[in-house]
Amino acid sequence: MGGLLASTLVYGLVNSVVLLLTSLGFSLTFGLSGVANFAHGGLYLLSGFLCWLLMHRVGLPFPLAAAATVLLVGLLGAAIYRTVLMSVRGIVLSEVISTFAVGVAIVEFFRWKGFTTYDFTLPALVDGSVDILGVTVDWQRLLIVALGLALTGLLWLFTHRTMVGLALRGMSQDEYTALSVGIESDWAATLSLGLGSALAAVAGIALLPLGIISINIGYDVLLIALAVTVLGGLESTTGLILGSLIVGFAMVITGNYVGPRWSEVVYLAAIVIVLAVKPSGLLGKSKELEDRV
Amino acid sequence: MIQTLRTAASLALAALALGASPARAADTGPIVLGVPTALGTIEGQDSLRAAKLAVEEINAAGGVEVGGVKRKLEIASIDTREAEAGVPVLDALAAMEKLIDEKKPAAIVVGSFRSEVLIPAMDVIAKYKIPYLCTIGMAPGFEPKIAGDYAKYKYNFRLGLSAPYLVGNIAKTMGFIHQKLGWDKMYFVHQDVAWATGTAGGVAKLSAAAGWKVLGNDAYPTGSRDFSSSLTKAKAAGAQVIVPIFDMPESGVLVKQARSMKVPALIAGFISPAAPATSWATFNGEIGGLVNFLFEPGSIPLKTPRSEHFYQAYGKAYGEETLRKMSGHGPGPSYDSVYVLAAAIRRANSLAPDAVVAQLEKTDMDGAIGHITFNKNHQVPFGDDPKKEAVTLAFQWRDGKRVVVYPESVAQSHIEAPR
Repeated sequence: MGGLLASTLVYGLVNSVVLLLTSLGFSLTFGLSGVANFAHGGLYLLSGFLCWLLMHRVGLPFPLAAAATVLLVGLLGAAIYRTVLMSVRGIVLSEVISTFAVGVAIVEFFRWKGFTTYDFTLPALVDGSVDILGVTVDWQRLLIVALGLALTGLLWLFTHRTMVGLALRGMSQDEYTALSVGIESDWAATLSLGLGSALAAVAGIALLPLGIISINIGYDVLLIALAVTVLGGLESTTGLILGSLIVGFAMVITGNYVGPRWSEVVYLAAIVIVLAVKPSGLLGKSKELEDRV
Repeated sequence: MIQTLRTAASLALAALALGASPARAADTGPIVLGVPTALGTIEGQDSLRAAKLAVEEINAAGGVEVGGVKRKLEIASIDTREAEAGVPVLDALAAMEKLIDEKKPAAIVVGSFRSEVLIPAMDVIAKYKIPYLCTIGMAPGFEPKIAGDYAKYKYNFRLGLSAPYLVGNIAKTMGFIHQKLGWDKMYFVHQDVAWATGTAGGVAKLSAAAGWKVLGNDAYPTGSRDFSSSLTKAKAAGAQVIVPIFDMPESGVLVKQARSMKVPALIAGFISPAAPATSWATFNGEIGGLVNFLFEPGSIPLKTPRSEHFYQAYGKAYGEETLRKMSGHGPGPSYDSVYVLAAAIRRANSLAPDAVVAQLEKTDMDGAIGHITFNKNHQVPFGDDPKKEAVTLAFQWRDGKRVVVYPESVAQSHIEAPR
């Protein structure tokens, strides 16, 4: 098959799962606690640099450094809730401003400390490439596709089939009712921030080997996560998948048939259009519920 | 009455003495050189280091003699952040003006990083009338602007490579590939910024005229990390050479992705993160075969005393690791710019801007980047012979080493086709 069409199909899917993986932590945190964690991009960047430092300054092997990074970034996410967010819990604007400030602080800290050289890369988990529909794709990208789909499935099972997951969802749906049956709000939010941050670290460790760890990625990742989740619907897993597929394919189609310079306009345009036409996102219900009330 | 006159005369003398003191201090104190540039970039950081090294060397030799007094040099820098996404040109210019207002530099070296900032910065310099020796910004509009209004813009000089010279050098290299390897299909991928767009367009035009078929010319926004679109098209169209023009950190991915997608073309152009000696390790050796340009010698020295001295002194001052990471654009001319300026001040025997400018125009000296003179539009000419002009180097990554392949006067080997 080969050619541009096959490339569009293969790289459209790869790009969609890259976006899905990038946004998973942001979406999970909002879905479980109602907190829009605008430090998501900063945590993603932090995971890359932390893993690199653990490998090159502490001397840990990559698998151990990666595991430690996921754990530490997850704990940091939980700590962010306990130290920064707890006092402004429920005030949406303050939550956004606080988390955004934390994200900016992380990104600019690394800029200040001189992490702007070209030395920061993480190793690929698997080398080599394979032909699919006549299009050559490297194994790392295929691993990302598998990881993204597996994590999405596991998270759905966690939030729909486990007591902890159901408790967290209950808290996000109606905090007072959840409190009345013994689910503690701050515990739930701490856990969801921790899980979302750990997912940001997983995404960073899987995706950053595709390129180089550069400072501005901290801001780009936040924008991507916002575009995909706003498009699909902030609290909907199915919406997140749909949003990733739409934006992912739209970017690749635009790049292949219009020109790469326009491909990144797509996700910014997605935010504007969706907010104007259907503010709750394609599968989101929050705005509609608010309107009904 | 006489007593009153004596008192008045004493007071007047005291006032004169007090008034004269600061002036004398200013005439003997350090000569401040401003460095307003993008200090978050490797090019900006390395250029500042190189300028500081030159200042330290000149100060260690006693300083610069002006009006019979040996004066030390001093660097005052500010981060304009102009290379960061979303930082407006006006903010970068404001940072530059802040430095000029607060530190009162006698001249500026290194200067603007982005072409989009360099051109309006020339108007800021026209306002303050201080010599400005830029070494990073490559805007092709620099020379026409001086030519258009010499009296206004005469304070601006450029020691770094300009986009038109880069275009000429890449086109010559393509001509060499066309001639030696018999190839004629090329594909351009470049960053969507003024200098890269201009360079890609210029090389495409010259190459097409020289017999190349230009199969595509794709622009990528700064920060792009996926180049599969262009690589797929280039591979499908049978491109023999892919010409990348990028100065963003993420662009190193392009070569890795081309390898993983089994694109058989030679990649020959400019990818800044693949220029330092450390990039082979950074990219796990996946940049083998890449032909990359060093805009100016520095990171790879010329076989000339000044160039080799700079290379060794930089390593001694900042350590082997920093030396190996040195960028391919900025440090060499930044180091030279301080020496060029110091020599002009000495000859002028004054810090008066017009006198210094007149002497800068007479510059004729060897530097780390080759032989330095200024053309009538205040640009250092870049050619093929380091004894006559400054030069640009092209090298090919082979087994972890950077082998110089252009210009022929300093080349260690010819360009090899991908294995």
